[in-house]
Amino acid sequence: MKNDLSFAIYAIKKNIQGSAELRTSFLTNVIGMMINNTAFILLWVFFINAVGQIGGWTPTDIIGLNGFAALTYGLAFSTFYGIRKMPDYAATGAFDRFMLSPKNLLVRVSTSAFSTSAVGDVLFGIVCLGIFSFLIHTNIIQLALLLILAFAACLVFISTIIIIYSIGFLFTDGNNVSEGIFQLFFTPAMFDGGAYQGGMRLIFTFIIPSLLIGTMPIEAIKDLSFVKATLVVGLSAVWFLLSILIFNRSVKKYESSNFMTFGN
Amino acid sequence: MKELRLALTTIKIRIKDQLHYPGRFFTDIVVFATRCGILLVLYWYVFKLRGGTISGTTFQAVAWSMFFYFTFMTFRLRDISREMMMDVQTGQIETLMNKPISYLSYKAWGRIGTGILPMLTVGALGATALTLTVGAPPLMRSAAFFPTLALVFIGSCSLTIAVYTIVGLLSFWIEDINPVFWMVDKAVMMLGGSYLPIALFPSLMYKIAVFSPFGASQFLTHTAYAKWLYEWPMLIGIQAAWIVLLGTTMLIMYKYARKTVCVNGG
Repeated sequence: MKNDLSFAIYAIKKNIQGSAELRTSFLTNVIGMMINNTAFILLWVFFINAVGQIGGWTPTDIIGLNGFAALTYGLAFSTFYGIRKMPDYAATGAFDRFMLSPKNLLVRVSTSAFSTSAVGDVLFGIVCLGIFSFLIHTNIIQLALLLILAFAACLVFISTIIIIYSIGFLFTDGNNVSEGIFQLFFTPAMFDGGAYQGGMRLIFTFIIPSLLIGTMPIEAIKDLSFVKATLVVGLSAVWFLLSILIFNRSVKKYESSNFMTFGN
Repeated sequence: MKELRLALTTIKIRIKDQLHYPGRFFTDIVVFATRCGILLVLYWYVFKLRGGTISGTTFQAVAWSMFFYFTFMTFRLRDISREMMMDVQTGQIETLMNKPISYLSYKAWGRIGTGILPMLTVGALGATALTLTVGAPPLMRSAAFFPTLALVFIGSCSLTIAVYTIVGLLSFWIEDINPVFWMVDKAVMMLGGSYLPIALFPSLMYKIAVFSPFGASQFLTHTAYAKWLYEWPMLIGIQAAWIVLLGTTMLIMYKYARKTVCVNGG
């Protein structure tokens, strides 16, 4: 476990160093992504101005929601971008080289790639959560909740993408199928949380965990709801265990390709 | 004649390619259903809370407007920018430029061929679902509706290709065009009426949407509102002006871009 962790940190460090080598590209990607993300906040603020508040959600909550969504997305894809490439690795036969590695397979494959633009998401997420905390006059308990829930939301996100991209092993056109399912998971996470009521809320909390990465944490912090906070933390553990199980099962479906190469 | 043959051949090959990968269909339908479907449920709930109309607009008009936006997005004409960037980054560009066909035409027809089948499928399924659930807006019974819809669709395709090709051509100079692409794409998304329908825009934003090329490339979304029947000559005129202006810019940029390519060199 300790060895896996130190290997993951080493691989992530090398990935960051490799990306930062192309300084101009690195900076334009990071800044560009931050500007890009601002569009979503503007859209939902215009939405609230046009139609009024729904379910008690204010523009401040939208800033917080985007903060959580960007932070989870950014942390997952800046450090573990290899997860998203798994269907490609499987399709091209490049997965062979990970299987032959003596390291933990999931850690090895997850840390095999790095997304520069996701660093912009991380920074954007931190800025948004800072603004959100300032605007709601966070007290020490809310701040502690924010940190715990940010960790739990990241865990949910990483677990879910492990499941989604592991599904790629089961299809010949795995990349497209996985990307479709990823959109099904992530897109609802960006929408105004007040709009999810009744059945929709249940579906997007327990079946597709979209609301666990932003909406529920924001509501838990805002209302100081320990029930919601416990639910997010509890479900994050469940999803994590489930993701490991599904990954291990899916990998067994992988058939080494017969390409006359040594992987990419 | 030669241009027409290139268009037909490229489109035919891309459609065949699409049929071989059902996963792509699945992705397009899931993405469409997720984005458009959930947004429509959200707006249905909002309109119900607000008594059926917001700023004099009905849910029916908003639903059709958003449906047009997301169906057009399934066409994925915007992907032309990243395809061009990949061509430059991988060096594929020199192979394509050595062929006796126009690179820009090949790229544009290729995108149309790739996107047309998913768009038609999603469009047919979505239109049927919307007609059965919210019904067709009264303006669709007007004689002018479908001809102007076809006209603005062609205009939207042409302008979208021009806008995103210009972004793609930047890769001949700056190599990584992603940050520019994101900004242009978000401008199109915001001003096109994706998450917030144009009928609910603040007045300044509405003016920017009408007079900017980003909003003009999505004028399809305007066709769902009653005022389309008297606004269409102006809107199609604006769209045509942008097509001429950006089309010319695109051709001039391409002329200079060609000179930056060093075959077997860089």
